[in-house]
Parts: sequence; structure tokens; C-alpha cells
Amino acid sequence: MSRLLGILGRVEGLPVGVVLALLYVAFMIFAPTVFTSYRIYMSFFQTVPPMLVLAIGLTFVITAGEIDLSFPAVVALSGFVFTWCFETFGVAWPGVLLALAAGALVGWVNGFLVAMLRVPSIMVTLAAQFFWYGVTILAAGGLQIDIASVLSSPVHGIFVGRLFEVFPVQALWSLGLVVLFWFILNRHRFGQAIMFIGDNAEVARVMGIGVETTRIRLFTLNGALAAFAGLILTLELNVFYPTQGQGMLLPVMAAVFIGGTSIAGGQGALVGTFFGMYIIGSLEAGVVATGIGGYWVQLVEGLVMAASVILNIVIGDSGLSALSSTARRWAVGRR
Amino acid sequence: MRKVMRLAIAIGLLAASFGTWAADKEIVIYMQMGGTQGDASTLARTNGARAAAAANGVKLIEQYSKWDQQTMIDQFKQALAAKPDGIAIMGHPGETAFAPLVDQAEGQGIIVTSGNNPLPGIEAKYQTKGFGYAGADLYAGGYLTGEAMVKAGGLKAGDEALVYDIWHQEGRSRSSQGVYDALAKAGLKVDKLDVSAQVDSETSLGIPILTAYLQAHPKLRAIGTQHGNVTAILPKVLQAAGKKPGDVICGGIDLSPATVSAIEQGWISASFDQVLYLQGYVPVMQIVWTKRYLVPGLHVNTGVGTVTPQNVASIKPLIKEGIR
Amino acid sequence: MAESNPARTALRVVDVDKYFGSVCALKKVNFEVGRNEIVGLLGDNGAGKSTLVKILTGVFPPTSGEIYIADKKVDTSSYTVKSAHALGIETVYQDKSLGEKQSLWRNFFIGRELTYPLGFLKVREQKRIANEIMVNTIGFRGRGISVESRASKLSGGERQGVAIGRAMHFEKDLIILDEPTVALSLKEVRRVLEFVHKIKEGGKACIYISHNIVDVYEIADRFVVIDRGEIVAGIDRGKISLKELDEFLLEYSHGLRDRAGS
Repeated sequence: MSRLLGILGRVEGLPVGVVLALLYVAFMIFAPTVFTSYRIYMSFFQTVPPMLVLAIGLTFVITAGEIDLSFPAVVALSGFVFTWCFETFGVAWPGVLLALAAGALVGWVNGFLVAMLRVPSIMVTLAAQFFWYGVTILAAGGLQIDIASVLSSPVHGIFVGRLFEVFPVQALWSLGLVVLFWFILNRHRFGQAIMFIGDNAEVARVMGIGVETTRIRLFTLNGALAAFAGLILTLELNVFYPTQGQGMLLPVMAAVFIGGTSIAGGQGALVGTFFGMYIIGSLEAGVVATGIGGYWVQLVEGLVMAASVILNIVIGDSGLSALSSTARRWAVGRR
Repeated sequence: MRKVMRLAIAIGLLAASFGTWAADKEIVIYMQMGGTQGDASTLARTNGARAAAAANGVKLIEQYSKWDQQTMIDQFKQALAAKPDGIAIMGHPGETAFAPLVDQAEGQGIIVTSGNNPLPGIEAKYQTKGFGYAGADLYAGGYLTGEAMVKAGGLKAGDEALVYDIWHQEGRSRSSQGVYDALAKAGLKVDKLDVSAQVDSETSLGIPILTAYLQAHPKLRAIGTQHGNVTAILPKVLQAAGKKPGDVICGGIDLSPATVSAIEQGWISASFDQVLYLQGYVPVMQIVWTKRYLVPGLHVNTGVGTVTPQNVASIKPLIKEGIR
Repeated sequence: MAESNPARTALRVVDVDKYFGSVCALKKVNFEVGRNEIVGLLGDNGAGKSTLVKILTGVFPPTSGEIYIADKKVDTSSYTVKSAHALGIETVYQDKSLGEKQSLWRNFFIGRELTYPLGFLKVREQKRIANEIMVNTIGFRGRGISVESRASKLSGGERQGVAIGRAMHFEKDLIILDEPTVALSLKEVRRVLEFVHKIKEGGKACIYISHNIVDVYEIADRFVVIDRGEIVAGIDRGKISLKELDEFLLEYSHGLRDRAGS
């Protein structure tokens, strides 16, 4: 048994994957009409991708020992930039590039303040959240912008089109990004630098890593990823509304932590983030489908999250042995 | 002698400017707008209030509470502390919470009026002092929408329907209760589903949930809501479920661009329009009229109709400007 | 790289002064380390040991004086930690040398990774080399530790060993050990001293800084004593016994000697 758990602990993200699988099995048992048909899954592939992309960036940031609370604002800003560009000039691709650049800019400013002026990232990004939402609302005059005509543009098909008429392409984009960034985190110099900085920035520095440059690049990257998330969200809904992204802060953070990335930094579990995001994204729909009253949803969400986090810790490196030795000590103490 | 002259001129100028200032002193109004700046159920109200303020030389201080009741109370207290000429509130926190605060404000000579969500008891008490109401009778509006749905879709007794709204907050589910009752009266089997806090803040997350519900209830014939953003995502949900316009009859509220498109394409049969622009314009005017001409509180019902595929074309340009 | 004229010293500083504002931390320090020599740097707290080391390794420049590495003069104004590394000098810290949550093979190559053109790591090769070093140089056997293990799984002494083995692999000519045995068990201290022997065997040089003169006496070829910012003694091992060295240092700490003798 402990060897099985040992294997579980060593393969990245597997505990969370098991939770996800069990969840879906439960859904299929209790709501067969919904979960044995393809439609609900296509619906998940439509809504989860933007948040998954955000979660990829956040995983990197947390691995480096920082936090970024400004990504919801970038979702709104990039959505606005693209929509404005498309509406005013009628061209889509420049809008895409400008939106990504806007996100990168926000990220760069964050990174500069954190790395050069040494302002704690939680403070910088919290302020950035308010600031960039304000900029977006101001620029948009508070209006929503409907861009139904983007459906005819090739940009729409490329980023959020439907394969075989039903499969949302953004799910492939987000999956591709997960794979790419897994390789960057675990098999690239930049990812390794991130891990060491999150582990112990002083060690990283004395070993010759450019800590400041890496941090700036990290936040810039996160900004660009958040911009991409905003882009696919806006394209999918083909409407921009100034408050878009606001509700994504907590679900995305929850997904990263459920996935097994430690808040202390130094290690990042992208596979876990992937599974975690789909858990969070499908939980409410699944509970609703089983007919359990809607008021139960938050309770169930809390339970699933707690279970995932505990599982990660227990099955993780020293968790199981620590648990059994603590249990042993407690038992001895009671005698 | 010259020094005295200069002093006299200075005092004279000061007195004159003070006099002008006192005579044309600008009216200051604090106003609760509701949600967040720019969202569908707040924008037109903001624009209406700003228009009234601009036309009357009013200094308007806008307050956004994200529809949170406690925040509305806190923001009223802030307004109170600033001693403005008038404060415009919404009734979500309820009469018990507001009564002592309004008493305090009126005691200090501040004019208080209301909009969007009524406070009948307080309104009756201070009507002579300018406490009015500009808003829809939410329940009646929801009921109207429900009736319009039945008519538009030819819904019959025994058909299954769902009303998806914020049932866990009584203040925000009054109008959806109206939809529910109208559908129930026509004999439909109506189910309630609660919009969770998560979906409330990020409506796109509601798409899988409604999709799941639709899958679980294949015979569903109608979906009603009185949540502005939920209304906007209904067509996406139906498309994802493979339905065509008219398969499932939808009724909603407000006129966001997405909703307007949906009405044009026939996905949504009726959207309750509470003319938010008036809900912004009238309370500001109320305070101005009471302040200058001692006009008592006016009760203005702004919930006067639904927008349907039939009348949407004429309203569309106004919506673009954020007026309707 | 074949050297036609091998340098006599690994490092040499001449007449180095260091002032922090008006406070004098080092005064007229003349210090050198031979190419294959282990020098024990001794002195009380606040005597100036770490200031001297920081100057030697490029953390900050001296106020005045000259630095020679491998007998070549170095521009003190542009001498940084990175330049020190490039010139073959590396410091091993007690607690700042390894990323604890990271695997050993990553720790080996951090900052000097072997990569493909786009920056992707040559993982297999790095693991292979790390494993070789571990088995041959450092000599880990059994205990279930591999190059994949996290650094936190190693004991203090083993971690020192990894850091030293790393410095040796990258052919650092001079390895500086800053209080390497603080808070280590006796067995671990043994291990560290064995590693230091290996440095000498490998033909490299080492500066060993410590309070513990028993350890220093065992492995150093020469002792240099620093007191209140000045070098007060440079004694070959052969010329003094442990007991004499102990007394010598005690007298300084009690302030019973002035600086005019050696």
C-alpha cells in the first residue's frame, strides 16, 4: 500500500488526477444522462481554457516565491484592446498582437517594481489590479462592446473555433500551453532559475543567476499569458465587458494550490494545475446535474479542495512517513 | 489713506464673490449606482444621473456597491458624514437597516430619495420631505416577463421551466419570483436553481452549469432569469446544447449588447426593461426640485415594458449610446 | 589549456585597506595562497576574516591595495563575484550553497547549465556527470540517495561535500570554505575534512576559515592569523604545535599582545 502511494507521490500531479477521475466517476454514476454525453464536456472545454491559461502563469509566479493578483485586470485590459482595435479598424490580427503587448506591458511594470524597487509582489500586483481595471473602465467609457462580426474573421476560427463542429479549439491551445510550459519549467534554464529563486534567492544569486532579470521576465510572461486568456475569453463570448475576469481570481488560485504547487515556492506542479483547474471548473455543473440543491455546491467545493490539498501533502515527499510517525507518537503518548 | 482704500476694495470683492457663491451654491448629491461601474445593470442609470447632474449644475458623487447590502449601508454612512444636499439610495439592505440612518440624515436637513428597490415605509414617512422612488416594481416586472414568455412561446400547462437567479439573496430575487409565479400560474412545472457567488462574479462560469441542467432535463421548454449577465449568456448555452431559437423560450432582464443580439436572433423572447436611465435621472431631479422648490417625493414607476423581437429594432440605437 | 609558466600563487593581495566610512576594517593586509596550498584563516569574531574574504571573492572592492589572481593583476573596480568565478575562485557557504528543494543534479549545474541552443537543458548528460561525480569524488554509497534526491535529504556534511565536489568539478583553482563545520556532528566534520584533503590531492588551493583550531590544524599547511583588521601572523604548520597555536591565539583574544611582533 505504501509503495503504491509512493508511486502516486512521485508522479507529478497524480494525486489530483485521481481526485478528478473519482469526481467524474461520481458524476457519471449520479447524473448519467449528463455525463455520458459529449455536450457537457464540450461546455467545459469552452469555459475552462481561459482560466487554465491564467493558472499556468500563476503556477510559475508562485514557484518563484511571488504572487500576482493583477491578472484579472489584464484579462479585462486585453479584451478591451482587442475589441477596440477590431471595432475601430476592422482588423483582427493587429488587435491580437496589441492585446498581448498590453498584457506584457502590465507584467513588465509589475516585474520592474518588484525586482528593482523591491516592493513586495502582493502589494504591487494588488495595486496594479485596481489601477488597470480603472484604466480599462475609463478607456471603455464603462460600455460593453459587442463584436459579433468577429465570428467571420479567421482569428475567431483559429483561437476559438470548433473542430468537427463541436470541439472548442481553445482547449487545445490551453493544453498545448500546459505542455510547452511544463517543458520550460522542468527542462529549461529559465524554469530552473525560477525554481531556485523561489527556493532561496540568495543561493540563486551566489550561483550566478540574474535574479532581477529573471523576475522581470517572469512577470512580463505572466502578463502576456493573462492577455492571451483574456483574448480567448473575449473571442468566445464575442463581447467585451469591463468587469470581465474579476471573478476568476479565486478559482484560478484555488486550482494552482489544489494542483500541488507549494505556496512556499521552489517547486511547481503544472500537471496538477491542469487537473485542478478542471476540477474547479466542472464542480458546480456536476453537482447541479446530480440534482443536489444548488446551496450545497459551495460546501462540496470546500470538501473537494480540502481533500485534494490534504492528499497532496500526505502523499507528497515526506507526508506519509510524517503522518505515521506523528500517529505513532500520539499513540505512545496516550499509553 | 491709500491703504484704507485698498483694504476696502479687497473686502468689497470678497463680499461680492461670497455673495455670488452663496446664491448659486452648487447642489451636492451622493448616489448609489448599484453594481460596478460599466456593468449592464448599472451603466444606463449612471448615464441618466450624470445627464441630470450636468443639466442642473449638480455635483454628483457616484457610489458603487457591487450590489452588496453591507457596502450600501457603509456608503450611506460615508455620504452622511459629508453632509451633502441629498443622498439617493437603494432598498436592498431593507427598511430595518436603513430607518435609523435615514432618520439621522433627515434630522440634519439632508434630502433622501430612492430608486431601483423600494422602501415603502420610509417613503411614506418622509414623502413630504422629498423622499420619492424611481424604479420598477420588480415583482410586477418579473411577472410581466413571465407572461410574455408564455405568450411568445405558446407554453402550455405541464411544460417544464427553470428560473435561474440569485435565490439565496431575498433582495435580489423579488423579480425572479414574479417570473416564477407567472409561469406557475400558466400551469408549468417550474424549478428554481440558485446562481452561486462564483457565477455571479464571473457569469461565463454559468455556461457549463446551465448546459448540465439542460442535459439533465431534456424536456425543458423555458428558462427565465432576472439577472442581467445571465440573460446575456443564455444564447451561448442553448447553442452549446444544440438547440435552435424557439426550442427553449427564454426571458430575461436589461439590455446588454449581447442580450439585444439575442433578442434580434430570436433566442430571447422577452427582456424586462426597467429603463435604468430614468432610475438615474429622476432621483437627481427629485433632490434638485425638493431643494429648490420644496417639491414632495414622487413615486415614478419605470418598469413599463418588455423588449421583444418585435420592438427591439427601434430601441437598438439608444442602447448603443448607453441610454436604454 | 597548457600553461607554459604556471603561476606561483593562486591568489595574492598587497597592502589592502578597507574602510567603511571612517571605520577601518582592514589595514595594510598582505596575504597570499599558494597554488596547491591549504591556508587556515584564523581570528576572533569581528577580526576582519569575512571582510577579507568578501574582497577576495569580489563582493566589494578594497579601499586601496592590489589583487593578483594566478599572478595576474586584477582591476579592483570591476572585480565582481561573476569575475571571481570566471577566474576560478569559488566560495562554499555553510547554508547558502544549495537549493534545498531542488534535486542534486540541478544543484550541480545551476548557473552553469549544459544546454541546447534554445536554452533547454541537456538533462541526461547533466544527470550522468552529476552521478559520476557523486560516486567517484564525493563517494555516496547506499542510503537511497541518487542525483534525483532533493538536497534537503542530505545531512549538513553531505551538503558541504556536494558543494565542494561541485566547485572541484568546475575546476576552481581556489575554493574558500567559510565556517564549514559550524553545527555539524563529529562524523560530519570528519567528512568535510576528507573533502578538503581531496582539494589538496586534486592540485588545487583552499582557504579554510574557522574558529575551530583543532580542525584547522589538522588540514592546513599554513596558518594566517588576523586580529583587528591586520595580519598578525603567518606560520607554517611544521613550525608550531597545536598547543602553541592555541596559546598564541588566546593571548590575542585577551589583548595581551600588541601588533608589533610575529
